[in-house]
This record gives sequence, C-alpha cells and structure tokens, in this order.
Amino acid sequence: MMSIKNAIKQKSSKKPRKIQKSNKKSVAKKSSKSIDPITFAVILNRFKTIADEMTITMEKTAWTSIIALARDYSVAIYDYKARQVCMQDALPIHTNSMHVVLKEISETFKDNIYEGDVIVTNDPYSGNTHVGDFVTATPVFHKGKHMFWSVAKGHQLDVGAYVPNSVAIQASDVWQEGLQLPPIKFYEKGERCEDVVRMYLANVRWQEWLYGDLMAQLGSIWTGERRLKELSKEYGNAELEKYMESILDYADRRMSEEVKSYPDGDYHGVSWLDSDGKGKSNIKIGAKVSVRGDKIHVDFSNSDPQNASGNNGSRGVMQAAAGIPILCTIDSTIPHNDGVLRHITADAPVGSVCNAKYPASTAAATVGPGDTMQEAVWKALAHAVPDRVMGGNGKDGNLPMLHGVDRRGKKDIDFGMMLFNAAAAGGASATCDGWPYFMTSAGMGGLKIMSVELCELFYPFRIDRQEIAADSVGHGKYIGGPGIDFCLSPVGGGFQCELFGEGQSNPPFSVMGGMPGIGGGSYKENLRTKKRKYYSSKGRFELAANEIWVGVSSGGGGYGDPLEREPDAVLESIIDGMLTVESARNIYGVIISKNPMTVNLKETKALRKKKRKTRKPREITSPNIPGAATWVKENLRAGDEYLLDAH
Amino acid sequence: MGHILGVDIGGTFTHFSLIDGKGEISLWKQATTPKDPAIAVKAGLTALAEAEGVSIDDFLKDLDLFVHGQTIATNTVIQRNGPKTALLCTEGFRDVLYFRDGFKPDRYNINLPRSKDFIRRDSRLPIKERMDYRGKALVKLDEKSVRDAAKILKKQKVESVAVALLWSIMNPKHERQVKKILAKELPGVPVVLSSDVLPMIREWERTSSTVLSAYILPKISTYMLELENYLEKNGFAQNLLIMQLNGGTATVKQLLDRPIYALASGPAAGPAAGLYCADRVGVKDVITIDMGGTSFDVCMVTDGQPDLTKDLRVHDNPVGVAAVNVHSIGAGGGSIAWIDKGGALQVGPMSAGAEPGPACYEMGGENPTVTDANVVLGYINPDYFLGGRREINPKASFRAIEKKIAKPLGLTTEKAADGIYQIVNTNMVDAIRVVSVEKGIDPRGYSLVVGGGAGAIHAGALGRELGIKQAIIPQYTGVFCSYGMIASDVRTDLIKAFATNTSDFEVKRVNEIFAEMEAEAVAELRSQGFARSKIEISRYADAKYSNQIHELTVPIPSKGKLKKSDSGSIAEEFHSLHERLFTYAVRESAVDLFHWRITARGKLAEREAVVHKRSRRPVSDAKKGTRMVYFNEYGKYRRTNIYDGDLIRYGMTVEGPAIVEQANSTFVIPPKQTLKANKYGDFVIGIS
Repeated sequence: MMSIKNAIKQKSSKKPRKIQKSNKKSVAKKSSKSIDPITFAVILNRFKTIADEMTITMEKTAWTSIIALARDYSVAIYDYKARQVCMQDALPIHTNSMHVVLKEISETFKDNIYEGDVIVTNDPYSGNTHVGDFVTATPVFHKGKHMFWSVAKGHQLDVGAYVPNSVAIQASDVWQEGLQLPPIKFYEKGERCEDVVRMYLANVRWQEWLYGDLMAQLGSIWTGERRLKELSKEYGNAELEKYMESILDYADRRMSEEVKSYPDGDYHGVSWLDSDGKGKSNIKIGAKVSVRGDKIHVDFSNSDPQNASGNNGSRGVMQAAAGIPILCTIDSTIPHNDGVLRHITADAPVGSVCNAKYPASTAAATVGPGDTMQEAVWKALAHAVPDRVMGGNGKDGNLPMLHGVDRRGKKDIDFGMMLFNAAAAGGASATCDGWPYFMTSAGMGGLKIMSVELCELFYPFRIDRQEIAADSVGHGKYIGGPGIDFCLSPVGGGFQCELFGEGQSNPPFSVMGGMPGIGGGSYKENLRTKKRKYYSSKGRFELAANEIWVGVSSGGGGYGDPLEREPDAVLESIIDGMLTVESARNIYGVIISKNPMTVNLKETKALRKKKRKTRKPREITSPNIPGAATWVKENLRAGDEYLLDAH
Repeated sequence: MGHILGVDIGGTFTHFSLIDGKGEISLWKQATTPKDPAIAVKAGLTALAEAEGVSIDDFLKDLDLFVHGQTIATNTVIQRNGPKTALLCTEGFRDVLYFRDGFKPDRYNINLPRSKDFIRRDSRLPIKERMDYRGKALVKLDEKSVRDAAKILKKQKVESVAVALLWSIMNPKHERQVKKILAKELPGVPVVLSSDVLPMIREWERTSSTVLSAYILPKISTYMLELENYLEKNGFAQNLLIMQLNGGTATVKQLLDRPIYALASGPAAGPAAGLYCADRVGVKDVITIDMGGTSFDVCMVTDGQPDLTKDLRVHDNPVGVAAVNVHSIGAGGGSIAWIDKGGALQVGPMSAGAEPGPACYEMGGENPTVTDANVVLGYINPDYFLGGRREINPKASFRAIEKKIAKPLGLTTEKAADGIYQIVNTNMVDAIRVVSVEKGIDPRGYSLVVGGGAGAIHAGALGRELGIKQAIIPQYTGVFCSYGMIASDVRTDLIKAFATNTSDFEVKRVNEIFAEMEAEAVAELRSQGFARSKIEISRYADAKYSNQIHELTVPIPSKGKLKKSDSGSIAEEFHSLHERLFTYAVRESAVDLFHWRITARGKLAEREAVVHKRSRRPVSDAKKGTRMVYFNEYGKYRRTNIYDGDLIRYGMTVEGPAIVEQANSTFVIPPKQTLKANKYGDFVIGIS
C-alpha cells in the first residue's frame, strides 16, 4: 500500500509541474530547538492512527447500508479552537467544512462545554452541510483543560422530511426537508439527555436503525476521546499543544509552496445543474478562482439565484466545494489539516444557488450543488494548472432512495435504502484512466457499493444486471471510468423510488481536448406493454410488481485528445468492455482487425492523420453550454414518455 | 521418537529447523533458489543428512514430521505469473471482479491507477442461470451457455477455471453442474467452485477468493506433488504437511482442494513460533515480531490463540477466508531513511533490499538505511556482521547518514542515526498498535517474542515504548517461522451459511450444520492417523445486530449439541465483544447469526524440550570486550560491555546497557534493562 503510494508520487512528480525545489524550511530548522523532529513524527502518526480507529468503529458497527457500506460519513479530530488537526479516511465534502460547524457549536455553548458532553446538529444554517448530515461532537478534556473535539458526521437514512428521503430535493423550505437540530446536547457530563434523544427519534422514520447508527457514531467519537486522552496524558497538555501547532505549521508550509507553484491570476469556470427539481432546467454556477501568492480565493458570484427547492448550496458546502479540487491538485501526502485549509477562502452571495438564504431548503447541497460548484472550480483550474486537473466526475444520477413495504417474510416490514450500485464514474487525470463508481465528487471515490447478495437478502428487490456500460466513458488520451448498465425488479410487490440526482443532461466535462461522459439516464419499463417512462435526473415514481427500472449511468470525463491514446490502450479498453470497435475507429482513429483482435497500425496512422486535419480545434474544457447530453434523445423510442422532475 | 523438520522458504534464505529425538535443535540456512525453490529444499535436506552422518534415505525415513512453508502461491499472485485463468459467472454480472466494492482508496490522489484484475473481461464469461436469495432457481442452468463458454475458453487456451455464481452459497447445484460439463468440455483443466472455496455471502469476496484459488492451483499442484513424490521416493513415509495461512498445517491433498489456504504460508507460522517458547514459561499473551531485511511482521496471540483476520487482500483482491493476521510494514534493516518535502525525517517503506543493500555494503547503495544507523550507533559490530561472513564498511554508513540526513536537518551524525533508529521504532510501534488497538487490546499485558535477524536490536526499545514488560528472544530467533511450523497443529476450517437469530434460534438446523461439518473434518483428520482424542473442534458463529451490516465472529459452545437456551450466552458473547471493541453494546437488540464455522485441529504429540542446568559461573565468562555505543537515554556514546551470546548460560544476567552478539543476530540491551537466559536456552529481556 505504502509502496504503491510512493510509486505514484514519484510518477506524478515527473510531470512538468512548476514546483519550486527551494523547500529549505525543514521541520527542525524552522521550529528551532524546541521541536524535536522525532517526537513531531511520532505525534503526527498518532493522530492518524486515532482517526483510523474512529473510522473502523463507525463503519463496522453502523446499522444502515448508507454508513456501513456506502461509507457516507466522516470522522476527524479538531483542536479546542475548532481547527482541523487530523482527517484520514473521510469524505471531502464533510471534512473540508466541519470546522465551520464546530465553530458554531463552540459559539453556541461557549463556557457550557463539559467533559462527557455530546453535542449534535444537522442545521445547514449553523454551518452544517445539509440536513441529512448529522454531526456528533464530543469535547476531549485532560486535566480539566479542553484539548480537542472528537467529531463524526454521518449521512442519516432519514431526517423526518415530508417524503422518506434525507435528500428531499423537491422540498420548498427547511420545514419540509426534515427535522432541524441546531446545536443541542444529547449527553451532558456523561449523562444521556433521554428526553432530547427520544424527541429526536420520534421525528424520524426507521427509528430502530437510526438509533443503531447514532450509537455507531457515538462509539466512534468515544473511541477518539479515549485515545486523545491517552495522548494528552503521555505528552502533557502544553507539550502536545506545541507539537500540534507545529504539525499545522508544517502542513501550512507545504501548502504554501504548492499554491505558489500556481501562476497568479484569475481563472473562470462555469457549470450547470440539470434542474431545480421542479421543472426549471439548467441553473448556472460560475466560479472565479483567484490565485495570489500562497492564497486562493474562490468567488461564486457569477451564479444564478437560489432555487425554490432543496437543490441549493449551504455555506458549509460552498466552502468545502471550493477547496476539494484544489486539494486534489497538491501533493496528496500533505496532511489535510487547518494549515492547508487556511490558504483557501470562498464566497458566494447569500441568496444564490451556492449559498442559500434561510429558510430555503439545502436538502441536496452536498451532492448536486456541491458537485456542480466543484465542477466550476475544476474547469477554472484547467486554465491555471492544466496538467494537474481531472475530467469531470459523475454526479449522483441513478442513485435512488427506495422505500415501501417488504412483503417477503412472515411479517410486513417498512424498508428504506439508498442504492449506490447504479451510480456514475470518475474522470480521468493527466496520468491515468478514471475509476468506476465515483457516485459523487462529494466522496471522490470513497463511497462503496453494496454486495448484490446482501441487497437481495435485506431488501425486496432483485438486481438483474450490473455491468460496465460500453462507450459510456468520456473519451480521451485517458478515459473516464465506465458507467453502469443496471436493471432492478421488485420482489413481492412494488415500492417507491426517489431520484434526486444531477449530471445527466449536463454530463461530466472533459479537459484538454477530451470528451465528456454520456450523462446517461434511467427509465422504468412495463414488462407486459414494453412501454417505457424515461426520467430526468430527478423524479418520484412508483415501481410496480410488473415493472423494471433500468439505469445507464455516466462514465467520467476524459482527459486529453483521444487521437493521442496509445493504440494498444484502445485495444485493451475494448477487451475490458469500456470501448467498442466502432468508437475505436470513429473517435480514436484506431482500426482493429479481428480474429484475433489486433491493432492495424498502418491504417490507424493514416486515419489519425486524416482526422487531425479535418476536425474542429480541441477545447480546454467541454461542454461549455448547458444541457449538452444526448443520451435520452438517442434512446427514446416512439411511444416512450420522458418526464422532467416527475413528482 | 524420530526427527521433526520445518522448512520455510524466505526471500533470501530457506530456513531449516530440525529437532532430533532427544529434543536437540539443529538450524540450517540455504540460499533460496527463486526459479525452482525445490532445489534449495533438496540441497538443504542433503546438507542436513550429511551433518547427521546418514544417507538422505535414512534421514527422510527417520522423519516423523515434515512441515513446509512454501512461497509458490504468494509469489504467483504477487508476480502475476500464474496460468491463463478464466471465470464463469451469472449472466448480467461479468464485472464483479472489476467493480470490487466500488471503493477508491487515497481519494485526493487523482493520479492513482487501478491495480489490474487477475482475469480480463474477455475471459470472464456469462452463464445463463439465476438463483434467488433462498437458493431457488429462478432461471434454470442453460447447459448450452456453459458449452459455448467452454468453446471460447478452449480457444483462449485457458489452464484453470473459477466458477462463481450468485447465491451458490444457498444452493450449489448450478456450480456443480457447470463443473461436470467443463470436465467433459475442457478435460484436464482444473475447475474451482466458489461454493467449495468460500461459502459466504458477498459475491465479490467469494469470487475473488475463487479466482485467486484457480490462479494458484496449477502451480502449487505441480510443486507440491513433485516434492511429495521426491520425498516418497527417497524414503519419507509420512504425509508432507504444508503450512496454511490460518496458522495450521494441512496435507497436500487437502490444500489442493482448497488452494486459497496455501497463500501467505510462511509468516502464518509466526504465532506458533512465538507461542512455543512463551508457553513453556507460562506466557499465553504474546505479540510476535519478525524483522528481516525489508519487512516487519507482527501478530497478536491472545490466550494462546492467534488473531485471525478476514480482510487479507492481494493487490486489492480479498482472500476471504480467515487468515493469521500478519500485519506487515516496510521496516527492516534495509529500509531507507529520507527527508520528505516538508523536512520531516522518514524511514521506509522503500528498502535497499539485498542489492544494492545498505550503504555499508558498498555495493552501490548510497542511501542510509536502518542497518547503517545501527552501525553508526555501535549496535552492529562491523567486524562480526552475520557472524563475520559479510564485510561491511562503517565509514560508508557514517558518510551516507551525514550527507543525506544529518546535514540537511542540522544534526550531528549520531543524533541523525539515533533519529533513524527512533523513527523506524515508531513505525514498528504503530504497526503493533494497529493490530492491538484495532482489536481493542491493550498491548501492555503482552510479552514480545522476537524473530528475524534484526529484531533483537530493536526489541528492548519497542517494548519500552509500548509499556511491555518483557521481550523473549528464542534460541531459534534467526529461523523463527520454520521453527513455528513444526509446532503447528494440523488444521481445517469449514464454513456454512444459514440465517437465524437469537430471539428465534433455529437450533435444530444449526446442530445439523455442525454435525455435517464436524463429520467431514474428523474423517479427514482420522485418515491422517489422528485418534479422535487428538482432534479438537471449536465452533464459531458470525453475529451482528439485526440490520447491522458487518459481522463479528464469536466463539460458541463447542461440546455436544447446542440447546435452544444457548442463544442467550451466544448473544451475551457478542454484546461483550462489541462493547470491548467499539465502546458500546445495544443489549436490548436481538442478534442475527448467519455463518457457522468450525476449526478442527489435529494435535501433534508433545515433545520434551531440552532443559539446561543452572550455571554458577559469573556472566563475565561471556564478556567479549567493550566498545563505544550510543544510547538515546544518555544522548551520547558510552563505553559499553559486549557479550558472546553463545556463552550466556541459564542463571546469568546481563545488565544493560550492553550488546550481546551471536552469529545470526545481535541483541541491544538498553540502559536499565536486563537480559537473562532461561533453562530452555531462550533469552528474556526484562524491560523497566
């Protein structure tokens, strides 16, 4: 594992990156006599180990697949000033903004923070990401001094919205999207506030499961608390604080060098939401990325006003979405703590789609709006540091919330689950092809799919097909990860589906002359009449016993000119099911001879030469117009219906 | 009693541990022959026979037990040089192997490529069939689709086939039919079924385990059968036993039925090696560490039981079956010290390996390594490296550390060397914490057992860092795992799936399942000559809260038939394990039970160890001299006593600081620690 990482690092540093070699500020020198480099390394590693242990507890003990399998959660360690000290294996959209919500928690309770407290909130207007994300934080004390926050954030299966979906994208306001919890205590001085917890559980669906997830989250932060106390005891408060400070400075210095390697300037990128969820299409999000010395500011003012739905960004999401692409362009071995985050600021007008005004709903903030903000930032970065960016990632299209009654057993059971197995892929980079199942840039590949067998055991449906969708990728010198060809049938009776996705009519973008992903889409088909209803990326519908739901998700965006992809790599991609012989010829200019399949080099050379002469010039990013995807148009048959934002 | 022999193939050396009828131990190292490892094995056997003054025939005839740790399986998967392998899967699910669990590690690294799959898509072929979650055939097996697939595989010259169909754990009928058809269509090509290899829910893990099995089967089969044949021809009259990744041994026949158990064969003997010397001094909780040239392997043993994991992976592909949890990191004598871009000192995971090796080898290696630091600090005697068999130049160590570490960090050379020593220790301490802390275990109640050429240089410091009270250095520390093999029981693990829970415990079916599995395991062990009284069976269940997703494996009553009322104690076993690991339990919830497991062990005859008499001689008898040695505690070099390890007898105590030298290993006794030899010839460092 470690050696692979290092190999990658060496590989990527061969790229023509404009990083100064003049990094003479070593840990030992800069921090003079008082910081011992050995102790420094020991403590740095210890924080990582603690965060890892918190992660394991959360994942291994959670009660819903959204946490235990999809891993839609994050854990992190903050200091008492709410500065991020350590983030390990977590979701970028969470951890790049958790300091915002922790600051609110600190300000809310000021001096009323005690050992044994557990403070929770899901309030997007208190700096949280969206109502579905449930923050649990416990202060860690040693010798009476508040040293750290041990924090976990988990996406709950339900939040008591007007529909059984914790991403109620069609919600009109905060009261429709779910129960609002401003910072409140679930535990005080080690005692559970039973009445408060009871009130919370009374307001959500599938209480028993959510209680299990709550306990998993508490187990995680208590594990962190236990270890952080040991650490404080081992080194003493003052010494530990000193080293923590030096760890933040260390990341700060490395980040500073990285940002300085960006050319100063203002860079622009524009992207679009498919719709507001209520029939209004193509909502614009624009980013201006300003680089000055070792600071980067992201300004989203060139964006449309907020939507009258839950498809809006929150302040926390706006902050995180601005930073994630930038963090992906720096050396991935730099520890992600406050020292890094302090170099990036972000802003968007209150009342815009990036930063909604109370009481607007931000139910889907982390996914559609967050992903689209990230996309606009990536597109801007493509002009600043083209060899360090990636093609667009698929968003949360074909990622339905399914709910209803499971009638298969002796007793009928209410069920609800979020299905990740049909989701979209990640984009390509300047050195490698994309990965499948990115699902959303909020997770950058950190979400997992569920075993088909576990799905069929737990829930009343059958998966009939789950395979690579050929030619769904964004073509390029490096291709995006493949989309999924997926088919699902209800078992024992129908149920309800809620699509709350993005990135289908506005597909994952490409960079440096590559091509976008297909965008994809989904439909349900009546097995008797064979009639199909196609859905846009959002919609609510009933899937009846005699119907199937079919989804083809988008591949990720491509990087670089397809005519520059190695002909052998094109052949390999055909064997791997990503490309077809036709696309090899039409898009890559590669001629494949059959039996056995080989590249016809001579014809390929000629065809590529001809294509280079006749085609349009390549663009740095593409598409640069809204609603560019054509999948639905190409697949709609006579007599099929297309429903925009069905509800 | 005859002789017993353990043979472990390592990266550099093939290690032999031989114990004769009186309990006397002989150790032998033979340079490994990577292309055909059997050459080194045969050469070592010949050398051992010569040393005993007998013919190879007589030597082998006199062997009661021959246990072998092979590297064929591991090397085949690591180097990807296995045969052309194919996978037959349920139609609609050709890409299970490619999709994995949808997870991308290291998410901020957009330049991370995916590791390659073991089988490309053109050899992953769909079969028309479908079982549902109860094992009912929704689509009957279409035999023609199997024959069509076979035709393609024939063209591709496929040499091994994995079959992994959805829900075969609930009903293996279709998989078995496929095997039958393939036997006809592809005669001579081995076929491995997922319902045989790993009858557990979760198709990716099961498919992966089956594919790895099919991938290694042809090679291990050739190697093991040839070796078995050679031994038989030369007089060996017993079963050749192979070390398995679960920490027990198995016959060649057993392993060829379940090839996945042949992976990670050598290091899995670590716990047995550790327990052997710990058990005889009454210690049951140990952490074994094995530090060689490139890697550092750690295992936990609690109450005499090695820690097992179900998360072992090969290039991101899960092995699936329970394996000895050998946590391995890139920390060894050859690990390179370097300074990262932010100016932090790092050690490893890159290694200078055997070539070019540490700077002091002067074979072209310019990077300072842990060995170089140990030379600079005075821990390693440059005139007695590997017992004087290898010449090293301490000046080269000084130069490398000064240039690459000391100057850039503004430290003296000895401070920089001490920094390297401390950092690599920290890495190893972290590795130990990962295996202990992840299991909710406080390592402070454990003893370290130290293996590998470099282990004893670091053991005292590791122990102190972890708050561990003693480190045991067995006399076989240099050939640790080969010794562990001959102390390992024969072991068979079996699994079956059946869903029930503790509030409505379907005890009748569970008892049937255990009866079936136990009958199978007992029959196998009896055929190897184990009396029923020497066969020990333990039962386990995979348990979780209803609706919880991941299971924990808990032990359940293993004697006689289970009663309906046992569900209470099973539930409590789960609650308390959950609480210990994760800080909490939900006692009001029922507990779901899904997989049922047994472990059957054939216990080997106990052998008496040689017991030494207490010596009345003073420890000064063993003193070789003094030299300047650096200790972090003093912050400077200090004249330190050097002892000859071979002369330290039971009854003697060496006071730290001191260095003890043996031909194959060096012990560092830090200040305030002591080293004693016990009556079995092992050494114990007492850590203050």
